[in-house]
Amino acid sequence: MADSPGAAAVSGVAAPARRRRTLGQWLEQERVFRVIPLIPVQLLILTLLFVPFVLTIYISLLRWRLTRGFWTEAPWGGLRNFLDALTDPGFFDAIGRTFLFAGTAVVLELLIGFGLALLTYRSFRGRRFYFTVFLIPMMIIPVVVGYDFSMLLIDTGPLNSVLSALSGLDVRVRWMSDYRAAQAAVILADVWQWTSLTFLIFVSGLVALPVDPVRAAQVMGATRWQVFRYVQLPLLKPVIVIAVVIRAMEALKIFDMPMLLTQGGPGNATETISIYLFRNAWIFNKISYAAAASLILLVIFTALIYLSIWLLRRERARLEAEAAR
Amino acid sequence: MKERARAFALVRHGVLIVWTLVVLFPIAWMVMTSFKDAGDWVSWPTRWVPFVDFEPTLLNYRQIFYFGGSTDTGALRREQTEQAYNIWKATFDSVVIVTISSVLALLLGSTLAYAISRFRTGGPNYPYTILTVRMLPPIVVAIPMLIYYASIPYFFEWLIGRRVEFFDTYYGLTLLYIATTLPYVIWMMLAFIDEVPRELERAARLMGASRLATLRLVVFPLVASGMMVTLLFVFILNWSEFLLALTLSQPKVLTLPVLLNKFQSAVEGRLYGPQAAIGTVVTIPVVIFGFLIQKHLVKGFSFGMIRR
Repeated sequence: MADSPGAAAVSGVAAPARRRRTLGQWLEQERVFRVIPLIPVQLLILTLLFVPFVLTIYISLLRWRLTRGFWTEAPWGGLRNFLDALTDPGFFDAIGRTFLFAGTAVVLELLIGFGLALLTYRSFRGRRFYFTVFLIPMMIIPVVVGYDFSMLLIDTGPLNSVLSALSGLDVRVRWMSDYRAAQAAVILADVWQWTSLTFLIFVSGLVALPVDPVRAAQVMGATRWQVFRYVQLPLLKPVIVIAVVIRAMEALKIFDMPMLLTQGGPGNATETISIYLFRNAWIFNKISYAAAASLILLVIFTALIYLSIWLLRRERARLEAEAAR
Repeated sequence: MKERARAFALVRHGVLIVWTLVVLFPIAWMVMTSFKDAGDWVSWPTRWVPFVDFEPTLLNYRQIFYFGGSTDTGALRREQTEQAYNIWKATFDSVVIVTISSVLALLLGSTLAYAISRFRTGGPNYPYTILTVRMLPPIVVAIPMLIYYASIPYFFEWLIGRRVEFFDTYYGLTLLYIATTLPYVIWMMLAFIDEVPRELERAARLMGASRLATLRLVVFPLVASGMMVTLLFVFILNWSEFLLALTLSQPKVLTLPVLLNKFQSAVEGRLYGPQAAIGTVVTIPVVIFGFLIQKHLVKGFSFGMIRR
């Protein structure tokens, strides 16, 4: 793209005077608007993400612990840290656990969110009230949610109390100290908080659906189920895919809730990959090892991110085509 | 048919009320605990009803706000853990870091979004490249940042003969927050700016307005509300951020989520009451902001991909 005609004329006519252009003239060029905003952002990404990344690759090849001086004095370790990480069952267990938590939580969130959205997207008395209440959880800070659930889930806490009242038995689930129960607790907290987001996404999607295809199907005598299954659901597919991708990528980062609820325990029942790396770097000070492990994780995530961005792009294009029609 | 409709309405309300209770239960419990005195925090059978089962008290709020100034009996024992009651300090740190980083991210991100929308800056793939930054788990960013921030003082010492610390400083965390929220700003602002018709800008240009004037007088008024929404959204994100603050600041710089976590790792005698009070106080501004931008939340969380 060339400069605007005005700017070209100015520089063309008065070539010797180019150096004395005023600020106003300088600002008339398209390239100023095109390029200047990019510079600080690229600079930030370069210095804050790229340089540390290169440094991390180097550190991962050393054997540096925070407790032993600066890394310039650390001995060379070669690929040892990578081998250690790849042969440490704890590392892969943590990754597996993260995927298990994220998978279970996201599936539950999608199902509950979708069900609630189907019940609420058309107008009826009280819709506003439900809608408002259902949105609250995602506005609460995850740390507060984690802490709040840690209080609800004490052995003699209110949740066990409610469960006892409902079942008529003396329910004492040891949420924080039992291996499986602690895992369920983390998933529970995540579902409680993020179902609000899937709900919101699905309601937005359902409300924005075009009316005509549904009408047409009804005129042709389709049952309510057929309208849903063959008209609404296909039209809703881009929204569903976007919700899955966004929630899944966020859920894989899970850190706040297990950290606040159980600190990764009991044992390593709720040690997600984020907590595993946190422990290695900040508790055990094994920086070089954590660097190597995080680079391995980065490779895994790069693949996932590529996949999700490919999906997002495809579905976004579909949504826009739909909106343009 | 009418009966079926009525039955459906009944089932619908039944299901929705159940979920309403599920949603409200933890919130109500936290707010209630914040008004309970030590003996009522954990007790079996559970104390549910204020004034009947337990006597509501403002003790927790007084404790967290008046840094150890309370002379009530029963509070004395709790004062021993006063170091955790840094709520003023944490609030100050949170407000300063979050406000500055959100505003700067908004400025950088929205000008870039304008450039992307109008001049295709960086090419068609650029917004998606930016998006990858957001999809990385923060721990993968935090470990390199730890190494980086630990190395920077030595680099500066070599460069200018003076150590400049980034670890555990306001600007260290602020810079990171700008970088991690930029993708959201860019994508949300792209959605808002794309909605402004180019014809308006063309008309202004034809009438002789400079580029800057067009931006200021035509585009800005139309996206101003969008910028406000984006600012509040990013503010909420940064206000809630935990991992980076936990790993790269502390103890000198202490944000509210990290403060809450400090209570959690206390080994003996968990202070549920003051913690609940802090949790409640911290949550209120975020919920208010959240409802202010309720209509646009979906735009934010879906990176502007779902626009209605």
